[in-house]
Amino acid sequence: MNAPPPLTTPRAAADPDPTRAIIAECLRETRIRYTSKGNTFFRPRLRGVNYMQVGKSKIIDSPFTITIEWLFEQFRRLRNGWNRLLDELFPRSPALPEGHRDSRLVGRLVFAAERGYGPPIHNMHLEFWGRTYWLAWRKIAEGRTDADGCFALPFPLRAARALSIRSLNLEIQKTTRAYFRDGAPHFHFDLFRAVPVAKSDLIGMDYNLRTIALDYWLYRPAATTPRAVVDEQAGTPEIYSQGRNDALIEQATPIEITKTKHLEQIDLLPGTLTIEEIEADYPINLTRCIERRLPGYTRGDDWFGERMMNGMNRGCFVPDETRPGHFWMRYFGVCWYEINDVYALPDVAILYRLKDDGLPLPVEIRLTGRLSRGDDDPFYCRAFTAADPEAWLQAKRVARVAGAFCTEVEEHFSGTHLNAEQYAVAAYRNLRLNPVAGLLLPHLKEVSLIDHTADSGLIRGYIPTATALTYRGLLQRTRDILGVQDWRGWRPMTPISAAHSCAKAETLFWDVLGAYVDAFFAEHEAGIKAHWGEIHRFADDLVTHSVPVFVTAARDAPPPDPRYRELAAERLKHYARQYAFDPDLPRETVDGELKAVSRITAARTWDEAGERDWRNLKDACRYIIMQATYMHTWINEHQYDDLGEVRYSCGGLRFGDAPSGVMGPESDDAIAPDLTRSTEMLFFTNFLSRTEYGFITRNEEGDVNPLLIRLLEEKREAFRALGVDIDSIESRTNI
Amino acid sequence: MAPPMKTESLSFADLVGLWLGRAFDKAQLWLYAKLFALMLVLFICLPKRQRMSHNNGIAGSGAIRIVDDPQFPAHPFFAAGKVYPCRIRHASATFLDDAMNCIRSLSIKFSDDHLRSPFDIEMNSGVQSLFWSAVSFLKFAKSRQEKWGVEYPDYYYRYPDGLKGSEDAGRRHVTSFHNVRYYCKTPFLFIGDDGIKRYAKYRVLPFDDEPETGLERDPSAWDQCNQRVLPHETRGRNFLKYEYQDRVAREGAKYRMQIQTRQAQDDDDPEVFNNMIVWDERLCPWRDLAVIDIDRTLDWKESLRTTFSVNNMPKTLGVLPASSIYDYNSLNYLRAHSEIARKARLLSYRLFGLPPPIPDNDNRNVSEWGE
Repeated sequence: MNAPPPLTTPRAAADPDPTRAIIAECLRETRIRYTSKGNTFFRPRLRGVNYMQVGKSKIIDSPFTITIEWLFEQFRRLRNGWNRLLDELFPRSPALPEGHRDSRLVGRLVFAAERGYGPPIHNMHLEFWGRTYWLAWRKIAEGRTDADGCFALPFPLRAARALSIRSLNLEIQKTTRAYFRDGAPHFHFDLFRAVPVAKSDLIGMDYNLRTIALDYWLYRPAATTPRAVVDEQAGTPEIYSQGRNDALIEQATPIEITKTKHLEQIDLLPGTLTIEEIEADYPINLTRCIERRLPGYTRGDDWFGERMMNGMNRGCFVPDETRPGHFWMRYFGVCWYEINDVYALPDVAILYRLKDDGLPLPVEIRLTGRLSRGDDDPFYCRAFTAADPEAWLQAKRVARVAGAFCTEVEEHFSGTHLNAEQYAVAAYRNLRLNPVAGLLLPHLKEVSLIDHTADSGLIRGYIPTATALTYRGLLQRTRDILGVQDWRGWRPMTPISAAHSCAKAETLFWDVLGAYVDAFFAEHEAGIKAHWGEIHRFADDLVTHSVPVFVTAARDAPPPDPRYRELAAERLKHYARQYAFDPDLPRETVDGELKAVSRITAARTWDEAGERDWRNLKDACRYIIMQATYMHTWINEHQYDDLGEVRYSCGGLRFGDAPSGVMGPESDDAIAPDLTRSTEMLFFTNFLSRTEYGFITRNEEGDVNPLLIRLLEEKREAFRALGVDIDSIESRTNI
Repeated sequence: MAPPMKTESLSFADLVGLWLGRAFDKAQLWLYAKLFALMLVLFICLPKRQRMSHNNGIAGSGAIRIVDDPQFPAHPFFAAGKVYPCRIRHASATFLDDAMNCIRSLSIKFSDDHLRSPFDIEMNSGVQSLFWSAVSFLKFAKSRQEKWGVEYPDYYYRYPDGLKGSEDAGRRHVTSFHNVRYYCKTPFLFIGDDGIKRYAKYRVLPFDDEPETGLERDPSAWDQCNQRVLPHETRGRNFLKYEYQDRVAREGAKYRMQIQTRQAQDDDDPEVFNNMIVWDERLCPWRDLAVIDIDRTLDWKESLRTTFSVNNMPKTLGVLPASSIYDYNSLNYLRAHSEIARKARLLSYRLFGLPPPIPDNDNRNVSEWGE
């Protein structure tokens, strides 16, 4: 086994200029670029994001399979080409037939439900098409459902029963994409379901197709948070765009092959591989790059403080009431969640002092809970300072790891992914005619798909084996954190110093969004007000399906031990600050649960609404876009910077066998993640940071409002000064 | 605002196409009507000695007197004070059980002959029908699926207007045939003394405005197909016919026949002819036409032999032409072309004898003699 690189004594940034230059150089060197690697015929490739596995994903690498795959691809292209040709040959004319409309196709669309029917589906676009014996299309009628989901499409009976008509179908169409052209949102409809209608059944007057229950953007009944039912085989409720899939295959295939190679080697000859060798097989990341040039710097106090402030973790600073210029940062450990017996996850409290340059310097770290297998008191607290350099180094590592875990599970997965998904499901279920659909849908698409993949790959797969929490523990924790996410009253982090660039950039983006949403609402005021009913239902779905406010529901309550109750209160207080969540705001109680998401409006029509509802909607839209774009991007694109070196930081440190537990040197393989978890971690952080697609300024799919792009471009330099490249900000949460 | 006048000119090819289309429609309608009548002959009238539907009935005779001061456009057939001998027949469709939820009917003959007459009219209870054109009637007939007094489940499931018609026309627990309101729902031609083309609908009410009975209160859309007698029913299979016999013997039965007319226009909405759409009474008020006075009921044999036909009408009061099987007027076209079925039934009586009267037994909820 190769020896780990020697650790040097951490040094302070006494000479900032050369250090900053090296960091800047490493940032440039390790920056992810989205360039094509070329597409040679026998290059192995992934099928798609849904084929991603914790272990060996389905990589197509056999020449035979590649050839078959190629042939299949040619067949698919041919089929698509044939379909395009048919579309050309038999265009669908939008003209409706002339003649007395003496018949109607009537019925009702509702959401499918586990028991009985779900609520009605309003404003769903419907078209009634006939196909002639020579395959030409004849549009017979069109319309949409009303507020009760009912539809009545008038049509001339003679047109439907014409001798030339071979078949008839009612096509229920879903809004697949919103895109911007000429400054206005346009919607693209795709067939969701075709309901065949027997020609001979049409005899005039009303023909009743009865109640049609659709598996359309359904809430997953057993989920602990508001989630969509996803069936990737059936392509419901949505599918990835081709560009997104291509970007993934392009970028992820090499790292998937690297992971596969490691897993094979670990399986066959585990002694022949080290963590360092695993790392060397992946692209170099920021900390390894800096460490190569400034050995020991990344383990130093300066770097620790800087990354905790402006790195992936972007920690929450709480002023110490007794010491000016000092701040506390908290990461809560295992708490009362179900855990395994392999990994440590203590509570971490870090005290910082602000340096003259505005960056924080850690001065004390308190670890509460089990640090070794022998510990049995989950509330035992130990304090560490730089006075004991070795323990200090180890405590910083434990704190970094706890921070990474909390950032990934809480801020990243709960705060952005699950948070965005609850808005996505409600938006797709309800927003169709209201211009707000054009505002929100481009930022909410594909999040349900990536969350579905995360369920199997990360939440059920990787994280329970690489961190302290079990699958059940993770589900409960993510639900609890979603219980402190609300659009009302949210604001970006307040900068605590001039060097707090992360908070400044956040505020800058928030301001851009404020201007964008204001302008959008001013431009589309009439449309938004005219279709206010959709906003009411959107708000209804959000509140009804929202998780309860943090630990307020009986099923989420902490154990009866008063210390856990106290911990719960501490957590709520801290999260309220971290997520700008006001637990004291009046909220709705549904089925005995105090819901976390505030109601946007209770008015069914604009006539019943008021300026407060208008402001609520604007605030909610601004918040939703913020979470789905900037907040997600920040963590996602910094993952490989801060989680690309196994011994530096990871999802969890193992207790190991020594009495000191996780308080051991980095070189101790017994507490570091094992080789399998090491390669999986590097794979995932690479995969998540590297395969992004769908950026605001690149606007690959033409779905980002040009106004938002323009407003962002105007602030390009201001963002750059804060270390943010606006070209890297994603337009949606899809990885 | 009125739609702009069309100025497009039709090419010769268009005209030929339209003519061919119209010829096809008419041929199709004729074929449907003839085939339907033939089916009735072959499968119902000859072998079963039955009418198509209204087998359970009782006939009576008396006189019809046209009102003295007609408020409707003058017509020689309906000249003021004119008196015609008449026959009527009340029936329940389609079951042989008066206590079931059935459509009730009244057919009127302006003569006291079982067959010949200058004017026949057939009416059913309710203002709306269960079908509205030839094609819808054929679908209705095909969808009966009758079993133990339950019928048309699929039809009502698919066609809400059919269901509405059934709810509107069905009568359960009628106390007398006499107090039901009867409507001919599809309009007829009416060309009066002034030569102006009009359309006419007819209805019959009890002369003394006796309140209507048998109306369904809050009918069940899910169970409308269930026409069975209710549990614990005590009324017998023939109670309505007996009541009518008693009533006529006791005091006679007197009705008011009314007419509703509207002037024909070139651009009349086709819905004018739709029997599911009631004409606006403010624009087309009901006017008294005649008083029907029934003083005698006929026996079972004569009730069976008495038949009615929409062909028995003066030319100026006849059936409106229909252009296709989808045309609302095609319903009366079908009726007019089913003459052969009536004659086949009368022939079957000669060949095989009359069917027996409906017995007073416990064989309930049936539409066939069968026992």
